[in-house]
Amino acid sequence: MDLTFTAAEEEFRSELRSWLSAHIPGEWTRPGFWESLDDDESFRLRRDWEREKADAGFAGIEWPTEYGGRGGTPGMKAIYDEEMVRARAPRTVNPLGLAFLAPTVMAIGTDAQRKEIIGPLLRNEVIWCQGFSEPGAGSDLAALSTKGVRDGDEFVVNGQKVWTTNAVHGDKIFTLVRTEPGSQKHRGISMLLIDMNQPGVTARPLKQMSGASEFGEVFFDDARVPVSDCLGEIGDGWRTAMLLLSFERGASGISQYTEFRRQYDEIAAVARKLGRDTDPVIRDDLARVLTELECLRLHSMHVLTQVEQGRDLGFEASMTKLQWSETFQDLWEVYDRILGEDATLDALPDGTDLRPLHAQAMWSRSVTIWGGSSQVQRTITAERVLGLPR
Amino acid sequence: MFFALTEEQQEFGAAVRDYLAERFDLAAVRDVVEAGPGDDGNPAALWTAAGEQGWTAVTVPEEHDGLGLGLVEAQVIARALGAGVAPGPWRGTVLAADAIRLTGSDEQRAAWLPRLAAGEAVGAFTTRGSAADGLPVVEYGAIADVVVAPSGPDAPGLCLVTGASATPAGSYDGTTRLATLAGGTTEPLPGASAGLRRQLTDRATVLVAADLVGIAREALTRTVAYDRDREQFGVPVGSFQAVKHALADLHVGVTMAAHAVLYAAHAADTGADDAELAVAVAKAKASEVALQATAAMIQYHGGIGYTWEHEAHFFYKRARRLAGQYGDVASQRERIAALTV
Repeated sequence: MDLTFTAAEEEFRSELRSWLSAHIPGEWTRPGFWESLDDDESFRLRRDWEREKADAGFAGIEWPTEYGGRGGTPGMKAIYDEEMVRARAPRTVNPLGLAFLAPTVMAIGTDAQRKEIIGPLLRNEVIWCQGFSEPGAGSDLAALSTKGVRDGDEFVVNGQKVWTTNAVHGDKIFTLVRTEPGSQKHRGISMLLIDMNQPGVTARPLKQMSGASEFGEVFFDDARVPVSDCLGEIGDGWRTAMLLLSFERGASGISQYTEFRRQYDEIAAVARKLGRDTDPVIRDDLARVLTELECLRLHSMHVLTQVEQGRDLGFEASMTKLQWSETFQDLWEVYDRILGEDATLDALPDGTDLRPLHAQAMWSRSVTIWGGSSQVQRTITAERVLGLPR
Repeated sequence: MFFALTEEQQEFGAAVRDYLAERFDLAAVRDVVEAGPGDDGNPAALWTAAGEQGWTAVTVPEEHDGLGLGLVEAQVIARALGAGVAPGPWRGTVLAADAIRLTGSDEQRAAWLPRLAAGEAVGAFTTRGSAADGLPVVEYGAIADVVVAPSGPDAPGLCLVTGASATPAGSYDGTTRLATLAGGTTEPLPGASAGLRRQLTDRATVLVAADLVGIAREALTRTVAYDRDREQFGVPVGSFQAVKHALADLHVGVTMAAHAVLYAAHAADTGADDAELAVAVAKAKASEVALQATAAMIQYHGGIGYTWEHEAHFFYKRARRLAGQYGDVASQRERIAALTV
């Protein structure tokens, strides 16, 4: 048992920490600051800041140096994620490109794709969307119907994607397209890298129940994409997608714990302020959530250990998703019970602004749906981990 | 970062499980359960193995013929014994040795530690009652050569009790024998303090939590195996989504409980700042998941799971008893709230 990071990793932490404290404007860390901005303004600030961060050498922490990364360890990546949360740095504007697309391109991309995609991604010059979900294919991803028809050196793409994060701010989209007419389920799909800045692509924001529009819908109407912009083999897009999704594992749980634990403390503070901290039911509720949060922290350390040892977690990643998403949702349900009949008010009588907390409470309803719903994760766990029959 | 069991630690656990599978399976457990309270509940062959294979020597220092290992290794053994719903005074013996190691005099250590390590003497440990007024519900109190118990109702002190008279206490958990004790000879453990007493209680709590994790994992594994094969409506029961999702949630829960207990053992061994929280989290989670998993074992075996002939009730009944020991889910959560709200 060794729960410490190496000296080099800790040195990286202090270097990063001092850079962050010097470069994050104070007002950004004020509760509610980001919720007070409109989507475009928030996006612009975050994009600029990330470029500054990349220029200072704090991007691509675990990427090889040949791609402009830092060549760091999984432990350094975990520290990086944790410190971003600790410093209240804004969330990345390119989460899907950085976490999923880049490692996939490094693994199976052509030399030209590696050269063209990875550097600009690192500097956030190109914002990537993920075009997987469709109106008829959410959790049942293989039911997708967006079509790509070969026309010389190009595919002509028609169809629609939905729940696309950053749809209106995206430059490019890695998307699953049925490129073999009449093919069924997992077969005949290709992963195409489509330029969103062309006449055949339209993106529309979708207003969420929180009022924000972090995601939207994307329409392809004779959009064109060179055949050379297929990632992986043509017709083998399902396998590419599975490889891409396998990069979802890793050390992010430690940063989630750090963030959720801070929220737990904020919620406990609200309970104290309202005198609800002596209610035995509320105490039991909070302690139940804290128990699950501590389990998330320990599970994340176990996952990091496995990653550092080069073990593939495979379908065990479903367990991580279930643990964090269900716990996060539970936390915010407890928050509502603490407020009681005032659960929907914008502010407490003493003027305490509750809207930033409400935004999290609303957001918590989405986390058990996206990235594979809790029901899908349970089925995967039962069939692939426990070996129950299909 | 290394948060996992080492290969040696895994092998330690595997050796206990292998022994139980080959030499002391659930049929042997049944013999003990059905023998009832008149029997001492400590099968000679199993107890001899505990001594010979070092299960009782785990935390005893090497200078007293022990292995000099920590609670992390001890919880590996506890988990394996829980998985086998194994009878016998292993936990009490280890905890008595721990108490004597941490609070005893040199003479007491020399007198007891080598014998406890070798399994030549049976130890017991309790935090309930007092040596002065009597001790209710001591695990294997009737066969213990030495019992570590509170000196008085309010005193921080601990003492050794020998030669007490024992009255068996009935229990529906037939895998463990319980007794009330009165009288006997007492001698104080001179190093005992409120702090050490709490530490010892924490170590006891971790070992109980580990037993619960073993019970829960085994209950789930057996249920999954049964539902993979058992057919109803022409298909395996395990193909129904209602069953799958319940068992998937239990898998996540048991895995989390195992992490929590492993960390609590490490925190207790190293005196980490968050040791108290870690122990409370481990016991709350392990108790909760063991109650769920053993109830599910009965439910997802259908009618057969409710019969005396099936083994499910060994797991369920032991989980019920241990879930309440050293603080149930609600009281551990109150501890957690006191630390974090």
